[in-house]
Amino acid sequence: MIVAGLDMGVQNVKVVLLKDGEILSHGMVPSGFEPEKAVEQAFQEALKKAGIACSDIKYVAATGVGVELAPRVDCKISVVSADAKAAVYMYPSARTVIDVGAEESRVIKCDEKGVVLDFALNERCAAGAGAFLEAMARALEVKLEDMGKLSLKAKGTTSISATCVIFGESDVVSLIHKQEPKHEIARAIYDALAERIVSMVHRVGLKPDVVLVGGVAKDIGFAAALKRKLETEILIPKNPEYAGALGAALYAMENLGGSRK
Amino acid sequence: MKNSSDKKYSIEISQKEAEEIRNAIKAASLKVMDEYIERMKKSWPNRPEAMQYFYDIAKFFGTREREIQEAKEEGKKVIGYTCMLAPIELILAADAIPVRVSSGFYDPVKLGNRIVPVEVCPVVRSTIGVEMIGLSPYLKLSDALITPLTCDGMTKLSEILSDSKPVWTLYPPRLKDSEQSMFFWREELRTLKAKIEKLTRTKITAKKLKAAIEIMHKATRAFRRLQEIRKDAPVIMGRDAMLVNQTSMWDDIKRWTEKTEELCNELERRIREKVWACPPDTPRVMIAGSPAIWPDNWKLPNLVEEASPQGVIVADELCSGDRFLFDPVGVDEWTMDDMFKAVAERYLLPSTCPCFTSEDGNKDRVNWLTARIEERRVDGVIYHVFRGCMLYAMEYMRIKRVLDKINVPVYYLDTDYTREDVGQIKTRVEAFLEMLKSRVEF
Ligand code: SF4
Repeated sequence: MIVAGLDMGVQNVKVVLLKDGEILSHGMVPSGFEPEKAVEQAFQEALKKAGIACSDIKYVAATGVGVELAPRVDCKISVVSADAKAAVYMYPSARTVIDVGAEESRVIKCDEKGVVLDFALNERCAAGAGAFLEAMARALEVKLEDMGKLSLKAKGTTSISATCVIFGESDVVSLIHKQEPKHEIARAIYDALAERIVSMVHRVGLKPDVVLVGGVAKDIGFAAALKRKLETEILIPKNPEYAGALGAALYAMENLGGSRK
Repeated sequence: MKNSSDKKYSIEISQKEAEEIRNAIKAASLKVMDEYIERMKKSWPNRPEAMQYFYDIAKFFGTREREIQEAKEEGKKVIGYTCMLAPIELILAADAIPVRVSSGFYDPVKLGNRIVPVEVCPVVRSTIGVEMIGLSPYLKLSDALITPLTCDGMTKLSEILSDSKPVWTLYPPRLKDSEQSMFFWREELRTLKAKIEKLTRTKITAKKLKAAIEIMHKATRAFRRLQEIRKDAPVIMGRDAMLVNQTSMWDDIKRWTEKTEELCNELERRIREKVWACPPDTPRVMIAGSPAIWPDNWKLPNLVEEASPQGVIVADELCSGDRFLFDPVGVDEWTMDDMFKAVAERYLLPSTCPCFTSEDGNKDRVNWLTARIEERRVDGVIYHVFRGCMLYAMEYMRIKRVLDKINVPVYYLDTDYTREDVGQIKTRVEAFLEMLKSRVEF
């Protein structure tokens, strides 16, 4: 039995195909202005990798901020529940899930079945999500891909406040003027974002094991900062950006009465 | 009329501008009210006949406005109040008309922003805006305002409103349970009583006060009966119950009482016949925190009861809702002294507003919440906080710790007087309801 999970993110549309509870393939396409088209392409990508036809998919569940825009889906699930399901699927010991995406971040506490016990979402402000890193990398005039590695060289001699993207930027600019080394500023940027996420974690309560997902999970600079601030080990899956889509696919499977073999 | 240069805050704008904005907002509000009522009807298609009365009164402009206007022409006075600490019995005893004037309109906030910073609680900013353009008939028709100084926002709002109307401040002691607090509060009310008597030229006699207390006893009885009905499987949608509760703030209280009793008769019959308003396994939600005020700030109730999965609001902790008429004045003997004491106690002691504190950290509020949660079998609490409302925001952790202990999920939801965050709030509310549902199922 093949089912699909679709995650309508702000930046990317993601698809995960599951066959009898095992991941078959992934697909990801920028959301752009035509979500229908993006969904189509993401599906094509996943189908091609799996070597199957569209008609093989029995059921589709969707999640994500743009879930209303998803064409022809069989059911919907919130990003919070989807993340919890995916985390426990990947790591049965997962009890706290941290998802940092482009515009949104969330912290979820769940039980061993992946049932959500508590959660918090970042306030309506980009300073608590990936967009903050993009803006700061621009201010620092480094590529976002390089900023993580750069930050690892730092000792932690300086800090910035991340109450807001605008203030963060002016903080960075003034550090540059003070001739603070770039790698130190980079670390300060990651620390500031991690700080915001950590305060959300504490609102919900930290319970190991901690799993980090979402696009920003791939950023080694951020992962290191979060680990420092949380003072605990963090599990990061291989394809963290697909957590939402995976959770939706698992939900689709449950809805059809299936379970992991 | 004071000269503009004598004014403290000078909130007036040109008549032409005021009129233009007022007309625009009023027209939009009428549409919003119609739309919300239609949406409420849609999610409760088999509602009883008796609900229609409350939908009509909820129209805000119109019937009730004209009634008050006419009463004024016959010499009656209208006394507005900004917060539920204002003693309604004293107003009624002086034959005056009580109306609550704290605003639930979104658009006037932009006008309020000209006077106070955007960081201030939106109820305050909106009420200022409403006064600037004369949007609320009830605020406009008020001859004087009672303004309890509960929080910083309300304190300065009181000053700002005093530019255009006589304003009678009431200063509640932040510590409730001490002799000196009670003494102080009684003196506050005594001063207020004299002011009411002077404005209305009516002496508040023992007989009149007794009659007023009895009117409010009946209102409380009807009010409690309605909340009692919400304990079991849902026979009324939460939004509708909330609307009934809220109309008591500007309706004729005697008529409101009758109509509420009528509604309750019908609802009790439905309980016997097991005619539910929504499936009995719908997640049961409580809204705690900052008030949800009709019409515009119906955002959260709308989202909860229109979400998928759907929730039903079976209780709230709002000063604009379940708490408003909950407590009766407890009189031992019908002497003036005793009645007055009882009225004073009624407004101070049972109040669970976070503006109070005590050695046990506002335990009253905790007790009130946990009692309601138990009796209404609440599955989860949405803790609603306005941006800028420090008191509710700061007390969240206190409440969350208690709720965690009794294993009742709570979600902190901050919002403002704006329509722009509906999408984001929806995501949160739906995730929360989904969580409640899965907890119930497992
Ligand atoms: S909502 Fe908060 S800030 Fe606003 S009036 Fe109430 S207590 Fe004060």
